[in-house]
Amino acid sequence: MSKLFPVQEIGSLAKPKWRTKGLRQPLSAQDLSEAEEWAEKLGIDDFHDRAKSILKTSDDKTRAKEILELSTLYGLRLFETAGVDNDGVGGEQQRVEMYEHVIKAVQGMNLLGHVHSFDYKYFNKGVAESRVSRKRPIYAPEFLDVKRYAHRAVKVPITGPYTLVDWSFSGYYIQKQHGSSPKARKIEAKREFLLDIVEQVVRPEIQDLVNAGASWIQIDEPAVTTHPEPHEMELFVEAWNETVKGFSCKFSDHTCYPSEIGYKVLAEYAPKLEKCDQLALEFANRDTSRLGVDESSREGYSDLKHFVDAGFTGEFGLGVAHVHDFTGSVSSDAGQAVGRDLIESPELVRDRLLFATKIVGDPAKIWANPDCGLRTRAWDISLTKLANITKGAELARETYG
Amino acid sequence: MSPDIQLAGIHPRSEKLIELTRSYERAKTSWSQVEVRLEQETKELIKLQKSLGFGHISDGALGWQDQLRPITQSLKGIESGTRYSRWFDTNTFYQKPIVVGRVSVGEIDPEKFLQTKLLAGEKNRKITLPGPYTFSQLSENKYYEKYPDLLVDVAVAEREIIKKLRAEGVSLFQLSEPCLVYQPYRATFRDESEVELALRAIRSVVENNPGEFVIQTYFGDASPLFSELLDLPVRGIGIDLFETDVSSLSEQTSKTLVLGLVDSKESYVEDAHWIADTARKFREQVDVQNLVFASNSDLKFVPQGIANQKLEALSKASELFEESR
Repeated sequence: MSKLFPVQEIGSLAKPKWRTKGLRQPLSAQDLSEAEEWAEKLGIDDFHDRAKSILKTSDDKTRAKEILELSTLYGLRLFETAGVDNDGVGGEQQRVEMYEHVIKAVQGMNLLGHVHSFDYKYFNKGVAESRVSRKRPIYAPEFLDVKRYAHRAVKVPITGPYTLVDWSFSGYYIQKQHGSSPKARKIEAKREFLLDIVEQVVRPEIQDLVNAGASWIQIDEPAVTTHPEPHEMELFVEAWNETVKGFSCKFSDHTCYPSEIGYKVLAEYAPKLEKCDQLALEFANRDTSRLGVDESSREGYSDLKHFVDAGFTGEFGLGVAHVHDFTGSVSSDAGQAVGRDLIESPELVRDRLLFATKIVGDPAKIWANPDCGLRTRAWDISLTKLANITKGAELARETYG
Repeated sequence: MSPDIQLAGIHPRSEKLIELTRSYERAKTSWSQVEVRLEQETKELIKLQKSLGFGHISDGALGWQDQLRPITQSLKGIESGTRYSRWFDTNTFYQKPIVVGRVSVGEIDPEKFLQTKLLAGEKNRKITLPGPYTFSQLSENKYYEKYPDLLVDVAVAEREIIKKLRAEGVSLFQLSEPCLVYQPYRATFRDESEVELALRAIRSVVENNPGEFVIQTYFGDASPLFSELLDLPVRGIGIDLFETDVSSLSEQTSKTLVLGLVDSKESYVEDAHWIADTARKFREQVDVQNLVFASNSDLKFVPQGIANQKLEALSKASELFEESR
């Protein structure tokens, strides 16, 4: 793409009520009223025909399929309306969430129950009860719908193997180890579990996606920065390189919310990631909410230097918008706090992009995106945030004539 | 007498409570409904601890959103709510305390720390708090020019919080100090002066402060600091046996050692015989009379059913250990 500062989504959007309810039970016309309202905003011209079909069908599977297809269409159109250049898979409407969606499709794994993530957010954690393999395609059916409806470029975010393993209990893999200490057994179990996930689950999935026409796969690996020990980072690199081996599509890594050490360790290992064309990273979360392109105003972006210093030469997907609850203060020209949301002004987005450009040195290497998926934000907030990212990217572009 | 068993931090919420809190967040459930369930589960957890023979009873901190939050909310000079950080190498997050002014104790609401009413009948009440070193290490300092000044002020404030909680009937305070032993965040191992600084801060919290204290380390190898930890004026020291190199320990101590014998980051429930055997092997290395069996850290990282099974395994292991003495 020749345009400077193209805008991309990173992954998920909130799931509308009608989508969630409609997968469990038949919907009424009233249930679809919100969808009707958004149909107008997003230009879904055939909404009434689709709604009629959804309301008419008595078959649960048919209804679920139509609802997932429709919510994917809505997600894609929301991104388009906001002016996003790469629309991903329309906000991951066909997935439960990034972890559980995959684990449910893995033979040998069982979901044990929910554990705390933060505040009132939880995730359903799985355990390996036997050797793992893929039960069925995970992302390919969704991609076929995306391909059918997307008007712009798309990429397929998938959950990376390192994260899948790190967020799971090792169960079968740890109990079969005979290492000398509990720690040694954990390390051995993780490697065996991880390489099985790569070979038996993730690579077959990528093959299916590539066969279906996917040209860009974003591998989400939020867990990697949680283990900055050298043996863990080397294991991550080994798994990444095994994952992408032999495929010719574009690959990018998305890693967010690193542990205390920040991105420093990932930066050190990033040049060893084969075929990694882009790193999409979270920065806005740790940045100030005031304008400026000086180091103090843009303190959240200082970790970018580590990647440049370490010799990573690919693109950066720059997190320029916060995706979680915000209860801090924001200067009036940098945006506004609306309830628990921060709406970044285009000028703040611009300054973040321009500051990053100073560090990276080449504006052509910088994409603009939210820190992470926007699944915890209401659609109107997501639309506004994304539209402001788009406007901010335009302002940054103007700087370069 | 068989080793005491204790909760070592936040206990997981049940699926029912999780669903209610989610529903509350979506504004479909009132907070009073969440509170009713929270109280019920706390009562059940207290009952479970008593039935398993726990010597000190905790409320499980089921309402805590993260390990730092009640302290964060009790201090002046600290803001939070804008930034979430990962809790060590887990997939859980905490609201990062941002130090924006001189830290001092603010309004202390004991209800934010513990379910005082539900613990009313318990003589030996335990609470788990972050130690001053870990709290200050996990905060973002935007105010102090020198880190030691922050650490000292956090310690002074925490000392006051503990006094207040002591007045609420808490008898045993676990100060968790994972940052003393968790190394990966660090480019180099902390030097002696920093260790001394951390230990001095802990001393200033506990010395001449009523109540008993345990300094709990986890997520890292405690062996390099073990002898220094034993010198602290506290009742007990806790170590994570899934991380600590026990073979390098050879100390003798009259202190209580809290052994992290079940893994809070794995779902398989450790066999009671294995737990008892691991404790026996530990005592072959370290000459210690008083042991406490516990999980290596907060059990909130596993679903509640598994956490409860791990507590049962600890209880059984305690009996087996005593039988073999």
